[in-house]
Amino acid sequence: MTFILAICVAVVFAVSVFLMLGKELKGVVMGVFLVSHAAHLCILAQSGSPVVEVSEVGDDHLKAPPILDHGHYHGEATGAEALATVADPLPQALILTAIVISFAVMAFLLTLVILTARNAETLDINELALEGRPTPSGAH
Amino acid sequence: MTDTLWLLLAIAAPVVTGLLTLPMPRSAMTARVVLALLGPASACGIIAGVVAQGPAPAEAVPTDVVGWVPSLYMNFSFMLDGLGTFFALLVAGIGCLIVLYARGYFGPDPDSLYRFYPTLGFFTTAMLGLVMSDYTLTTVLFWEMTSISSFLLIGWDRYDKEAVRLAMQAFFTTGLGGLGLLGGVLLLGATIDHWTWSETVLHFQYHPEQLTDPAVVGAFLLMLFGAFTKSAQVPFHYWLPGAMAAPTPVSAYLHSATMVKAGVYLIGRLMPALGSVAAVAGHAGDGGEGHSGLAGVDWWPLLIIPFGAVTMTGGAIIAINQHDLKKIFAYTTVSQLGLLMTAYGLGGLIYESHGHAMANLDLDITQIANHAFYKAPLFIIAGALGHVLSRNITELHGAFFKRPAMCITLILAGFALAGLPGSISFQAKELFLYAIVHSYQTIGTFWLILMAAAITTAACNVAIFVRLTTTVLGLPGSLGSAETATAEPDHHHAADPDEDIDESPDPHGLDHDDEEHHHEHYHDKPGSPWGWLIWLPGLIIVLPQFIGGLFPSLWMQVLGPLETNTNYFLGEHGHYDKLPSVLYAITHPGIPLMCSGIAIALGLVLGFSKAFRGVFNDPANGIYPAMYSAAVDGGRMAFQLVQTGNLRHYLVMVLMALLVGFSSAVWLDPAMLNSVAEAASKAGESWTGAVLGLIVCALAMAMPLAKERIVRVLLLGGTGMGVVSLFLVYQAPDLALTQLMVEIISVLLFVLVLRMLPRRDLRVSPHFSWRLLLAIAAGVSMGWLTLVTAGSDPTHLFHDMKLGEFFARNTYDGHELTDGRGGGGDNIVNVILVDFRGFDTFGEICVLALAALGVFTLLPGRKPKTV
Amino acid sequence: MTSRILTTAAQLIVPLALLFAAYLTIRGHNAPGGGFIGGLAFSVALILYRMSAGPKAFRRMLPVHPRVLLFAGLAIALLTGVAPLLFDLPFLTSYVRYVDIPLNEPIHFASAVFFDAGVLLVVVGAVVGMIVRLSEELEP
Repeated sequence: MTFILAICVAVVFAVSVFLMLGKELKGVVMGVFLVSHAAHLCILAQSGSPVVEVSEVGDDHLKAPPILDHGHYHGEATGAEALATVADPLPQALILTAIVISFAVMAFLLTLVILTARNAETLDINELALEGRPTPSGAH
Repeated sequence: MTDTLWLLLAIAAPVVTGLLTLPMPRSAMTARVVLALLGPASACGIIAGVVAQGPAPAEAVPTDVVGWVPSLYMNFSFMLDGLGTFFALLVAGIGCLIVLYARGYFGPDPDSLYRFYPTLGFFTTAMLGLVMSDYTLTTVLFWEMTSISSFLLIGWDRYDKEAVRLAMQAFFTTGLGGLGLLGGVLLLGATIDHWTWSETVLHFQYHPEQLTDPAVVGAFLLMLFGAFTKSAQVPFHYWLPGAMAAPTPVSAYLHSATMVKAGVYLIGRLMPALGSVAAVAGHAGDGGEGHSGLAGVDWWPLLIIPFGAVTMTGGAIIAINQHDLKKIFAYTTVSQLGLLMTAYGLGGLIYESHGHAMANLDLDITQIANHAFYKAPLFIIAGALGHVLSRNITELHGAFFKRPAMCITLILAGFALAGLPGSISFQAKELFLYAIVHSYQTIGTFWLILMAAAITTAACNVAIFVRLTTTVLGLPGSLGSAETATAEPDHHHAADPDEDIDESPDPHGLDHDDEEHHHEHYHDKPGSPWGWLIWLPGLIIVLPQFIGGLFPSLWMQVLGPLETNTNYFLGEHGHYDKLPSVLYAITHPGIPLMCSGIAIALGLVLGFSKAFRGVFNDPANGIYPAMYSAAVDGGRMAFQLVQTGNLRHYLVMVLMALLVGFSSAVWLDPAMLNSVAEAASKAGESWTGAVLGLIVCALAMAMPLAKERIVRVLLLGGTGMGVVSLFLVYQAPDLALTQLMVEIISVLLFVLVLRMLPRRDLRVSPHFSWRLLLAIAAGVSMGWLTLVTAGSDPTHLFHDMKLGEFFARNTYDGHELTDGRGGGGDNIVNVILVDFRGFDTFGEICVLALAALGVFTLLPGRKPKTV
Repeated sequence: MTSRILTTAAQLIVPLALLFAAYLTIRGHNAPGGGFIGGLAFSVALILYRMSAGPKAFRRMLPVHPRVLLFAGLAIALLTGVAPLLFDLPFLTSYVRYVDIPLNEPIHFASAVFFDAGVLLVVVGAVVGMIVRLSEELEP
């Protein structure tokens, strides 16, 4: 399962890099948002396989979510071996904050794109670079 | 109170009293002076009291430790051995007289003293801490404080751009040395695990073999670099003459007796440690193994001696070619610092006498004291003369008859500068010459070169004395008399400063750093005792020179207990059993006395000759501007290279760093690739997950292919939904819920924004191929990184468990690792967010708030109020 | 941007969504939910209301500028963090106690829920504020 996730990370990251290297600022913002997906999946992969380790391959018997029942694990899980049957909560906590942050960053970027479009009247990265600093009057 | 607390009080006293003068009314001149005087005076008293009560200074026992930052090895403990006591008393004692002199120098100008005393107190405090601290890092801290406070003092005239520039030059040069010292101290401390000077010295006395350890040698080299910059050794000496832009009280204090001696102090502190090798080699020498050539000599004297000798000679030769009194004395200071360095360097050599091997160093405290006692008066009188007449020696013709008291002090101090018999300077010079003579045992014929350098230096000093005396007495043949001007047509402009200003504004010449040109003067009424303060402190300081010179036994009675190096000159194997009197020295001639005689004769000839009378511009003055412009130009070039303004270039740079990092990691450890095969074998564990993963991939890959931008946004949302489903497979309900909401909102946002943006066809970029290549490379390395990190087992890092397990155990009830405090919740993820990692979450909501505020600010809306 | 179907449906959905968001927040300490999720759900509901009922009605419903929510949330979170310092406990220490209620097993209460409330307010303030700001740019 980690392998599948790694492939997803690779593909999503590659696509986002491809978009970010593009010519238009809109694509760049989409790339930035997409890259957060890749990052989340990468962190998620750190929690190991979601499948309870059993001998036969191909079983879809998934782990329990990281929620206790009055301080005790659901079912048979106990003590140190708990993470074999319960999903690792730490990557989830890290991703949860990351999701919200990436949303905030994207909203901020979109605002910047709007301002750039208004002031420079172009979203072409090469034109923006040639122009140097965008002027409020839109001297282009 | 313990000794350390008393000494802390002594260190703090100058800055505290200095700051206490601030709220005083500006008109309260006398009270201000008295209060400012109280600081160094009480410091002096406390230090003397602690020394008198404590063990003999020679025993070098640090006082008790007062903790400050123990985890960083920065504590307070003071070392009142001979070196520390002497420097502390010197700093505090001369500090008192400088407080008085400042009153005479600035006159009844309330604004100057208002600013001056707190800054001076800050410097005095820094200097006292520097020379007494036993903890190495605390010393570094005080060292930096002297750099900062001296910057403030040198750039005193803050409206004078040139003064500020020279202050910056001094600050950057000594600051660079301070960094070297810090590096050296850290390296040394990390290598031998001792963080005080006393322990360091003991360590090397027991393990002298470690002195050849490359890390230790590197540490000492760095420290020597710090000492060389602070003590103005060639080629870092340029800052000291430049620092003459400071008001003269500052020059008299910082650049004669205190700050520039910090480097010398550091070498003196390290001497016992560095000398350990010499001691071992010396004992080996006892066994009959003779030294020949440079083979048996340690590395560090061979490093210090050449630098010191060049500084000594170069400083003296430049000094004689100056007209500004302060410049003359600045360069003689450089010269004298070179001499002190050379003396310590010679101390690292072995000298054998009567079958006993010992370090070739004697009475180093006397050497240092000697310089302080004549150089401070010289500066004081330079300032005084500049105040009332002129600082340019060519304009001081016959000044004696206008200002006799000042000129008598000047002549007395100049007499000591020349090292003529009668002043302690004479005996000090003899000591130094003896050390040179004795160095022939180890460095062979090189001693002749050193002796020639010493004679040149001494001759230059004699010549300066001759010129000063003849000029102020108005004797014929002196500088500034009519024939000088006609005899030297080439340097005509130098003799006429006013013309000089018009013709060639020389940034290092007389006209700019001469603060007298810029300011209105405040003079005390004639006959007022306050007016004496402009020369009287100089006279007081110069007196010990002659008391010591004429009655050496008295001198030794005071300074003798502080001398830690009494080896070859005195004592049972030495040449003398006590510091020789003038009569004794003259009636028992040796090579040193002969050389002194040659130097005096040469100096007399040089002093009366018409050669070397111009103004020589020190070539080293260009070093700092060159370094400065090189740094600025280099920065500009780097900026232009990196900052193209094109987003794409930045991205490519970042990605390249990523790729280089990854590929070099694989190259270093190819075993990391195994994780790929291992993970691939478990690819099909969950068929649901595999199918969902493929959907995510397919949706993402469709994005660049889509032509319509609305389709792209929908594909983006679709990818997000795929990720949501993966979260569900991974048993993360919180994540799935959050991502679902975010996905809804962001698709909405994208649609909103896209409507605002200009429509433009999404042509395929011309750089399609390399763009694709870079994207694939970045994707592959990122995916591989995921596999490697997921395959690692971090349990050994934290109590043999995964962190997630720790959180799971303590979410509801606490356990021993959390002091019994639990989160009191069942949702582990939420408890991690609001409890275990609450601080992190708090930072995160701050980021969220900042992003929102950024949006509100950037798009303020058409209406002033949106509510 | 108003359609009759949306307006009608929103009248039913928005109250339910707000209720659901409150539910998600309150149960967050023990089951999936919490400040981030609750805040996002609140935001979705509010934005839905704005889209269906229009800006004027929205302003009647949320009469303060969203940045007020933002700062209120930050203040609450900070106060929750600072409060334990008064009891000589580290910053952000949570206070947990079990409350006996009749006819049921004892429930527990953690002071961290106040922190969660602060998080909720910040999320609502930021998300709603940004979306409203951007939509206002679009509207004439």
